[in-house]
Amino acid sequence: MHMADALLSPVTGGTFWALSGSLIAWSARKTAREQDGRKTALMGVLGAFVFAAQMINFTIPGTGSSGHLGGGLLLTVLLGPCRAFLALASVLVIQCLFFADGGLLALGCNIFNLAFFPAFIAFPLLFRTIAGDSLSPGRIGAASMIAAPAGLLMGAFSVVLQTTLSGISELPLGTFMLFMLPIHLAIGIVEGAVTWTVVAFVARTEPSLLSSETGQNSHRSIIPAAFVIAALITGGVVSWFASSSPDGLEWSMAKTSGIAEPEDRNEPVHKTLAAVQKQLAFLPDYGFRKTGARAPQTSVSDTPVNPGTTVSGITGSLLVLLVAGTAGLMLGTRTKKTETAGE
Amino acid sequence: MNDSGNRHSQPDVRLPAGDRAALSVLALFILFVVAVPKNNLPAVIAYGSLPAFAIFAARLPLKLVFWRILGLLPFVLFMAAGNLYFDREPAFNAGKILVTGGMVSGSVIVAKSLVTLTALHVFSLCMPFHRFGNALRAFGVPALFVTQLQLVYRYSFLLASEARSLQKARDLRSFGRKGKEPDTAAHLIGSLLVRTYARAERIYMAMSARGFENSMPAAETPSFTARDGKTVAVSSLCFIAIWFLFVP
Repeated sequence: MHMADALLSPVTGGTFWALSGSLIAWSARKTAREQDGRKTALMGVLGAFVFAAQMINFTIPGTGSSGHLGGGLLLTVLLGPCRAFLALASVLVIQCLFFADGGLLALGCNIFNLAFFPAFIAFPLLFRTIAGDSLSPGRIGAASMIAAPAGLLMGAFSVVLQTTLSGISELPLGTFMLFMLPIHLAIGIVEGAVTWTVVAFVARTEPSLLSSETGQNSHRSIIPAAFVIAALITGGVVSWFASSSPDGLEWSMAKTSGIAEPEDRNEPVHKTLAAVQKQLAFLPDYGFRKTGARAPQTSVSDTPVNPGTTVSGITGSLLVLLVAGTAGLMLGTRTKKTETAGE
Repeated sequence: MNDSGNRHSQPDVRLPAGDRAALSVLALFILFVVAVPKNNLPAVIAYGSLPAFAIFAARLPLKLVFWRILGLLPFVLFMAAGNLYFDREPAFNAGKILVTGGMVSGSVIVAKSLVTLTALHVFSLCMPFHRFGNALRAFGVPALFVTQLQLVYRYSFLLASEARSLQKARDLRSFGRKGKEPDTAAHLIGSLLVRTYARAERIYMAMSARGFENSMPAAETPSFTARDGKTVAVSSLCFIAIWFLFVP
């Protein structure tokens, strides 16, 4: 699932470089605060372990082909999100520079797709929620079989989004998703099964290796996880069935003045702002941008499935989550400071 | 990256500029190549002449570069095939052959991949890994992350040979596909993991005895010299010149 530079535009590549770079800096700062040299050595050796484990291949039942472990979820189970993210990012940097596996501009995207989702989404929101404090093989199995495919599918979906937003490939979003998601679901199920067996093996032979990271604060993440999943489903799928009739304001205006939307005023300020908005809106009218000569045909389709609406819904949900989360963090920090000052 | 672990297969190359300058030139080069519009094949070929020149000038092993790149092409070819299928608008005629827009943009995707991957290989074959770490430190990358990179790189060769031994032992006891099922592989990975932990403990104790304090000691990174500045400036001018010549 390593992306190549040729499929990305500089803007998309640069944006994900900035995002992944910030995540690395944040994780490194958080990890460095712990001052635990033992874990630093462990992180390094476990990163190398992922390389080595990928050499052990196995036959995939029913296909006749062989596969190998990806290792993202396994590393997170063993090290925790921040350390696992750093370890996975370092593996991807070495794969990029030493094996040219994935491009340099695409490195930010690859770190985001292959390290962010298992470490910061699949593990805390799914694995830890399901596995809880227990080291029972059943719960570890259920957690692995759900978290590993989910992490991989999110990464695969992200590859599709990044490629589509870059505009280099002519593959339509729906077709690309149809190619990418089923195959990655199958790979994810095998990854989940192998992760389950490895974690169960370690839980049986060296349970102390797992106790530090699995199961901490498991009950706290259930509610946010449910909200995130509900938001993504609503934005990505339920939005297909949204009514195309005018909303309350448009309906009232149409009733009173006879027109649903007022005409644009021809003043310079309005014109400038409209031009800025046109440039900034990368998903205008909750769909993909249409370019003059090559605009997609506006034929009436029988199916409500609309890739543009899906991308808009999911992107919107994630942006709102990001803004709300940042605001919450800032307010939380300010409240803490005020409380400290009051004491 | 070449290092003591695999130096026997790597040429000994002296870079004309410092490591930070080399890294900056590589990043700029890839940025220029990626920014070429999706239907402009001549510009990508023109940029491709630069890593090709570097391969011959530094006498890098062409075969090694070729085989490594070949293994990475399937996904790129799949994406290029998508362009071929979905964009069938005629672009121009080459003799009796009608060339479609998809053929042009598909070949640009493949060409861009070849050029950027070759540039990465040239870089990795010319710079020892420890110097790459120092260059990253000089760019302000967190020390913990650089330490992590160095540890992963150092121990990946060691653990890889251990994994190979495990796999060989399993293969000797397997018949056809029997014995190579995912659960057997998972048990091998599990024992490799337990051994890795034991090794990490030994490594940490040895590192602590040598004064390790949460980050690897780094050699003093030389400052960004005037020569480095000139190298970056001349390279940028070359890239800009190619852009103006080939991108309308």
